[in-house]
Amino acid sequence: MADHFTLMTLHALLLATFFSFLWKRDGERRRYFFKVFLILLLGAVAVGWLMYPFPRPS
Amino acid sequence: MAVAEEHRPLPLALVVAGAWLFPGLGHLLLGKKLRAAVFAAVVVVSFVVGILCQGELILPKPGDPLSYFATVATLGNGALFFLAKLLGLGDGVPTAPTYEYGNAFLLTAGVMNLLLMLDAYDIAVGKKEW
Repeated sequence: MADHFTLMTLHALLLATFFSFLWKRDGERRRYFFKVFLILLLGAVAVGWLMYPFPRPS
Repeated sequence: MAVAEEHRPLPLALVVAGAWLFPGLGHLLLGKKLRAAVFAAVVVVSFVVGILCQGELILPKPGDPLSYFATVATLGNGALFFLAKLLGLGDGVPTAPTYEYGNAFLLTAGVMNLLLMLDAYDIAVGKKEW
């Protein structure tokens, strides 16, 4: 449970499932699911890299 | 000659209250079985993971205005919130490495359930047909 990437992936998975069933009909659901999932996952990794040069002051 | 069955819609308040009480219940009452099952699974899994990650069911804290927003999300969990409190869960362990993740899962579960209430309302009043 302590692996942050696993938790982040699970969170993205749950949110993508939720919004694809909330906002999309049967035919468009799968495509929307993958789109949201990848945006959440890759977006978080990208933001993490962008923050890398600015570490939290200790 | 067969008489057409009269369709009597459920009271709106019952649908919305049911949607708040347990994730997916509002959709189930409206006959949306698949979506009800998926919503229930997603919100319950999110809530349980949040508890397992030692997240906190945030309630108002004096001097912390943001805690009031978090309280709305926490109470959005409906019966899950009261059940967890009854079992002595959700106090949170701020020193745990997964504490913040736990909070994110718990707050997300509550907000998702609040969105489900709005969705059930829209379906019940006819603004959304599916």
